Amino acid sequence: MITLFRKSTIGLLLLVCLSACSERRDSSAPHDAAAITLTYWPAPNPEEIQLADSIVKMWNRMHPLIQVRMQPIPVSQSTEEVLLAAIAGKTTPDVCSNINPVALREYTQAGGLVALDKFSDFDSIAAARIPKDLLPIFKNSNGHFYQMPWKTNPVMMFYNIGMLKAAGVENVPRTYSEYYAAAKKVTRDTDNDGQFDIWMGERDIRPIWWERLFDVYPFYIGATNGETLFKNDSVAFQNVDAEKVFGFFQHCYDKGYFPRTFFQGGDPFLLEKKATHFAGPWEIATLSKFAPNIHFDVAPLPVPDDHQGPVYTSGDYKNIAIFSTSEHPKEAWEFVKFLVTAEHDLLMLEITNQVPVRGDLLTNPLYARYFSKNPMMVKFAEQAVHTRGMDTVADLKEIFDAISQEYEICAVYGRKTPAEAVGDAARRCRAIMEWNQ
Amino acid sequence: MTRKVNILRAIRESERNGYWFILPYVIFFLLFVAYPLVFSFILIFHRWNIVTPMEWVGMKNFQRLASDPQFFRAMFNTFVFLLIHIPLQIAVALGFSLLLYSRGMFRGFFRAVYFLPVVVSGVVVTILWQNLYSFDSGVLNSLLSIVGIRKIPWLIDPGLAMPSIAIMATWKNVGIYIVLFLVGLQNIPKEIYESASLDGADKYSQFFKITLPMLNSTMVLIVALSTIGGFSLFIEPYVLTGGGPMQSTMSGMLYIYNQAFYFGHMGYAAALGFVFALVILAVVLLQRKVVEAEPS
Amino acid sequence: MIKSSLRYFFLAAGAAVFAYPFLWMLAGSIKPELEISNLSLWSSQASLHSYQQVLTKIPIGRAFLNSVLVSLSTTASVVLFGSMVGYALARLRFFGSKTLYALILFTMMIPFQITLIPQYILMVKLGLTDTYASLIAPTMMSAFSIIVFRQFFMSLPQALIDAARIDGCSELRILFLLIWPLSRAVIVTVAILTFMASWNDVLWPLIVVRERTLMTMPQLVTIFVIGGEAESQLGMQLAAATLLALPVVIAYAFFQRYFIEGMAYTGIKG
Repeated sequence: MITLFRKSTIGLLLLVCLSACSERRDSSAPHDAAAITLTYWPAPNPEEIQLADSIVKMWNRMHPLIQVRMQPIPVSQSTEEVLLAAIAGKTTPDVCSNINPVALREYTQAGGLVALDKFSDFDSIAAARIPKDLLPIFKNSNGHFYQMPWKTNPVMMFYNIGMLKAAGVENVPRTYSEYYAAAKKVTRDTDNDGQFDIWMGERDIRPIWWERLFDVYPFYIGATNGETLFKNDSVAFQNVDAEKVFGFFQHCYDKGYFPRTFFQGGDPFLLEKKATHFAGPWEIATLSKFAPNIHFDVAPLPVPDDHQGPVYTSGDYKNIAIFSTSEHPKEAWEFVKFLVTAEHDLLMLEITNQVPVRGDLLTNPLYARYFSKNPMMVKFAEQAVHTRGMDTVADLKEIFDAISQEYEICAVYGRKTPAEAVGDAARRCRAIMEWNQ
Repeated sequence: MTRKVNILRAIRESERNGYWFILPYVIFFLLFVAYPLVFSFILIFHRWNIVTPMEWVGMKNFQRLASDPQFFRAMFNTFVFLLIHIPLQIAVALGFSLLLYSRGMFRGFFRAVYFLPVVVSGVVVTILWQNLYSFDSGVLNSLLSIVGIRKIPWLIDPGLAMPSIAIMATWKNVGIYIVLFLVGLQNIPKEIYESASLDGADKYSQFFKITLPMLNSTMVLIVALSTIGGFSLFIEPYVLTGGGPMQSTMSGMLYIYNQAFYFGHMGYAAALGFVFALVILAVVLLQRKVVEAEPS
Repeated sequence: MIKSSLRYFFLAAGAAVFAYPFLWMLAGSIKPELEISNLSLWSSQASLHSYQQVLTKIPIGRAFLNSVLVSLSTTASVVLFGSMVGYALARLRFFGSKTLYALILFTMMIPFQITLIPQYILMVKLGLTDTYASLIAPTMMSAFSIIVFRQFFMSLPQALIDAARIDGCSELRILFLLIWPLSRAVIVTVAILTFMASWNDVLWPLIVVRERTLMTMPQLVTIFVIGGEAESQLGMQLAAATLLALPVVIAYAFFQRYFIEGMAYTGIKG
């Protein structure tokens, strides 16, 4: 009797163990004992997978002894969560090219990344490729570089040429007042049900923290001529510029230029329900795929009326990093250098329509043909030099969550003045930073 | 003599068997109940994001909790949800169960249809209602437009969002409670009604003086079950509103989930969970006291 | 007469309220995108296009199998161990049985809010995140099932068990060969309740599983709808939701009585 019982218990435990073991991921299994295999994780979208595939194939042909195995990041909720979990579970790849500088602090605090400037040729490579005033923003607070800047997606304003013309808007709006004036003409009620159904713009009104990266954040950088929210690890945005930005969105919602709703059936920009859209160059592919017959163009984001100088915006960088669990960091670095050659930057432009962090895009003849065929990308390349990244403060998600909530109360629902909302946001951010000291 | 020995042997064998039978559960209990409880008591005094080592912070998590307006808002929202959901649930379930109670055709069919939303996953229900509640193209607003009523911003107006979720939750769960009421109704002996009729009581007073009081224990059960369910509210706000508009649908569970798995504050989330659990226990105990205080 | 038809009117209206959304979902999953917002349940251009897209975009078939595996394992385990412990508490005498029973009752009172995060951390420490084990293990045994089984077993005549013991049957044989056949209704009830709860659980899988090929069906559909993969195409969302609802609805159609009576049983005993 006891034996039967014991047998069944052992059997059940075995079953549980087997299923546990069989799903353990084995991230780098070499094909043959002599060769080194590096694991490389690109971003999980189709274009970047295609780009990674081409580059990896070329590398593998050229380096029979150092093979690279490409594996898109498991699609889940966010790359940052996946990478942090991988660092914790020690299941990280050798190289990943979807590193968000925002999460860098968390990765480095966990000791997950290799300092790239310890490689002797890092400085020369970086200096040759990256515009001089952009390079410092990628440095970690301890003075080292843990990421190789790779690509940027400057946030700009797409607009529907036809819709603006039809409403009698002559020039693309450059300032807030011009935007309001254009919005007044464009926003209207076409089916006489008492509610607007064509709008100047539209934003998802739910307080999702990363949506602010496409409205409040780039607008703030534009309004302040390149300042970000934090300086020296403390709140730096409690100022008139932030109030102007909040005020801009509040005015748009108040007058109905932006609808107070969130769309669930179809993209309003593609359906010509809204005239302007704030996004990065990836939008170009979406537009040509889903709305090939509509004419769009791109312009810098609107700025406050008294603005001087070039328009800055946020860059949404994605960079490359080598993980400290890598058993072959030197070979991984060679692969990283391979990823950022001039030819492969051209491939990036052609396949993904995203802008490499490269200073000579508009001067190097290698890219001339691409830009002549893609005039919208020229604007993005010009803008790329005037971009800023995110601050590497801890708990950036929580901070943006707090800012989102204040934005929602002030801009979308009009329950607070911009000054109050900015003040409350600043207060909450200070509290967050203090709690997490 | 042999009989006594046999009995003793049987008893001792019984004891041994008992231990083998419960051994798996004891292991399970230690791993998944005892350890987590103990660990949570430790975790609430630390700060931890899993990748870096744990850091002792003493009462700091509770200090933060005490001044965290979002946590209080989440508690408030949960109570708003319960205050709308429970009476609505009882009213609707009672109504339908009364309709179903007396003999009639298709009783089984109706009961089956009303119960359908219960078995289906909450995810399906949420996706469905996300589109029903959609402001410009949702089914509900389309129906309203046909009748000539203005569209209602179900999930957009901060005052309407939580009630909308409460309505959706009622729609999903009322089937269970209809069944429970049916059982309760069937347990009322017919003789009581008969003698009441003989005494001249009309249908209305029969309902209020006989039916309702005899359903009391069922209602108490429904309130208890709904309360515990209400405190677990998660997937609906998670999918539908992300906690908005203006934090009006942020439930306790969603807030804890965000703190733990979105922002990585394991220690703080554990503290939140701890206090939340205390609140739930307090409410359950309170409900039990109220029930015991009522004259039967 | 009027009263009767009025009664049926309300019952039918209620049925419409409960059934129409599902029918609308089904219809929406086969209509072309622009017609979905219509209230009609039919379209001249009905097609399975949305389903095709869903099937190519996400491994929903795999997720279905995952859910089946996890839910079946959990149910089998809960019934097995629940009945074992329930039997031990009901019919076997051993030191500590009263304490254990009190402990199990106590377990039922603990809100999961407090154990959720430590259980997740336990999974991380054991290296079991992203495994089937992490989905099955924490719900492998249920205090509720133990209590239900114990209650029922206590109502069985002691004489029956004594007779078996005198015949020399081992306790295990008594449980499985004698008592289980007598407890069919209870077993089915516990099984259905456990299966349903396991199948529909989303929170825990969202926490412990990130790997798409391991996700359970409701989890995968949730991520599909919230994440941008559905490209805000309503048809795809509704198709995914229909696929998710289908297995349960089919099981429900066949075992409806057990579902409903199982729930009622919980209520009575609760």
